[in-house]
Amino acid sequence: MPMLTGSLGKWIAVIRTVIGVPDYERYLRHMRARHPECAVLSQAEFARERQEARYSRPGSRCC
Amino acid sequence: MRSFRSIVIWGLIALTGAGALARVASSRGETINAAWLLTAAICTYLVGYRFYARFIATSIFALDADRATPAVRKADGHDYVPTNKWVVFGHHFAAIAGPGPLVGPTLAAQFGYLPGALWIIIGVVLGGAVQDFVILCASVRRDGRSLGQMAKDEIGPVAGITALVAVLGIMIVLISVLALVVVNALKSSPWGTVTITLTIPIAMFMGLYLRYLRPDKVLEASAIGLVMLAGALWAGQWVAENPALAPIFTLTGPTLALLIMAYGFAASVLPVWLLLAPRDYLSAFVKIGVVVALAVGILAVMPPLAMPAVTQFVDGTGPVFSGKVFPFVFITIACGAISGFHALIASGTTPKLLSREPDAKLVGYGAMLTESLVAIMALIAACVLTPGVYFAINAPVAVLGTTAESAALAVQQWGFVLQPGEMDALAKSVGETSLLSRTGGAPSLAVGMAHLFDRALGGGGMALWYHFAIMFEALFILTTLDAGTRVGRFMLQDLGGQLWPRFRDVTWQPAVWMASAMFVSCWGFFLYQGVTDPLGGINSLWPLFGIANQLLATVALCVGTTVIIRMGKARHAWVTLLPLCWLLVVVFTAGWQKLFSADPRIGFLAHATKFSALHAAGTVPPGVPSLEAMPRMVFNDRLDAAVAAFFMISVLVIVVESVRMWVRVVWGRGVAGSSEVPAQSVTLFAAD
Repeated sequence: MPMLTGSLGKWIAVIRTVIGVPDYERYLRHMRARHPECAVLSQAEFARERQEARYSRPGSRCC
Repeated sequence: MRSFRSIVIWGLIALTGAGALARVASSRGETINAAWLLTAAICTYLVGYRFYARFIATSIFALDADRATPAVRKADGHDYVPTNKWVVFGHHFAAIAGPGPLVGPTLAAQFGYLPGALWIIIGVVLGGAVQDFVILCASVRRDGRSLGQMAKDEIGPVAGITALVAVLGIMIVLISVLALVVVNALKSSPWGTVTITLTIPIAMFMGLYLRYLRPDKVLEASAIGLVMLAGALWAGQWVAENPALAPIFTLTGPTLALLIMAYGFAASVLPVWLLLAPRDYLSAFVKIGVVVALAVGILAVMPPLAMPAVTQFVDGTGPVFSGKVFPFVFITIACGAISGFHALIASGTTPKLLSREPDAKLVGYGAMLTESLVAIMALIAACVLTPGVYFAINAPVAVLGTTAESAALAVQQWGFVLQPGEMDALAKSVGETSLLSRTGGAPSLAVGMAHLFDRALGGGGMALWYHFAIMFEALFILTTLDAGTRVGRFMLQDLGGQLWPRFRDVTWQPAVWMASAMFVSCWGFFLYQGVTDPLGGINSLWPLFGIANQLLATVALCVGTTVIIRMGKARHAWVTLLPLCWLLVVVFTAGWQKLFSADPRIGFLAHATKFSALHAAGTVPPGVPSLEAMPRMVFNDRLDAAVAAFFMISVLVIVVESVRMWVRVVWGRGVAGSSEVPAQSVTLFAAD
């Protein structure tokens, strides 16, 4: 999607990181650059995996 | 030239801050404007950030832009991700800010605005922000390791296990006291109850939307959710004004307590995508929105503070909670001044996002200063109410009685003015049947905020703003509660797994259900006890929460001090030793008084003795439903005493273990090497 590479996409990624949702595009870039031989998770798989990890440990929020 | 200009500018900021602080502190008998308090706070924060945080960054940790952070070294695209410092700041702030800095200062306003304000401003610069910053730096140098892990590595295994058990205990007390705040805010309030109940299906709709309709479109789903929240606010009003429906949603405290327990259980066993995660997104947006709105409201209105600087209740006879200003103001306000819970976040996700070491100053120290500013704003919102109204909302039934006349009389006896009919008119204007004895802080904060928003926007919207404020407070709290219950369930499964390995299996439903039920009953027990307490429950539970939170801060500061000493900077260890010593004095004085004070309003054991004697004599004191209820209350007192004692013993264990380690290192007998990961230059790692 060309729109998501523009400045709107950047802002969306920023807001998502602030509320604790990691950026899929970033993950893809990382995997392509560093581990091109590995299979990547799909966007939905990535979102699920991150969510499970976030709610299984203390220290993701406060009083 | 540049340094001369810098001296002039910082000199001016320091002078302005000192002047405003002097104005705030010396005001007696006249009302002062909130602007003074804000100026004093902001200038102090700026000076603290520019000088003290920089000192810690350069002289102690020697933060180095060339030294690779875990986010760079272990970049994996999901857990460890180098991120822009302002984004990490936003993320860290959203994670540390919660209901704590709003409720604590509201309760502490019973001493007047001055004690709370001074503790928030000074405590954060020398204590809270230092703790968050030091723990963040320590964790960044250790691959983002957690507080418990660092306690084990740096101090020793005993300290590690004590920290782990203490965290579990703290979560139980934290969740129960926050749930109590929600129950007290929703009691006999059909509007609030309907609005909050509707947030559950709204979150579930968002969850399903994100799972099946538009996967991962979090912002889109959140926007829809926020619109639906506004609808829920309106639906609540509609129900409250409907004579047939209103009684169905007019619930008593015990009923609400049971419903919240059922909710916590459901949130813990349901899949996260369905309820927990979407709620969390909503809550994060509402949280940031409300903080901004509160700031805008205060700046637009610049209200005078109606509360005196210091009230007579510093002597310990306060109706909101008992105990003298020392040590109780330091226990009541934890988040906002220093909060041990933050150490879990500063050693959780945040260190794995930091792209450069020097960014830790903005994120660790800066975000905590921002939270402190939120606490100051909450204090202002509570102090714009006249003292008569503030105490009529926050004092328990046992002190005020149940009628407007008895309440007015009680308030007058304290020397404050409450016009006849004032409370009724206020309750009517916010769309509630009564605001008397709505303890817990949330309703009085909501009235204060509604007052500010209403004045800023020209009037006529008190009822809507009040319920908006209640909705966001409850939304935050329930988000802490549901996620906390789930984390507590995991911790219990982990602990139980030591005895029975299968219990640890998070995919085995019987274990999930059992551990969830166990954890919910733990906090539910304290919640129910608080709801049925004639003194309002806050009196016994909030100090326990404060002690627990400050206990965690002492653990964090012990770890911080050990880290500093073991890296060979013992001569600078006073940076963490200073707040540590102060907290130890506070926690032990408060803990001792809660245990052994002869005043039954303060000491758990004295209260138990008094109630045993009354029960034996067959007398039922005011506010207690029946003679049969009294043995249970005596048991609760003794249990609270045991919990306080447990927290104090945990602190002692960790402090003794730490001091042993410090002595070994300073006297050169033990290993001085720290568990830091060796420095590696960023140039060794390719950027994505």
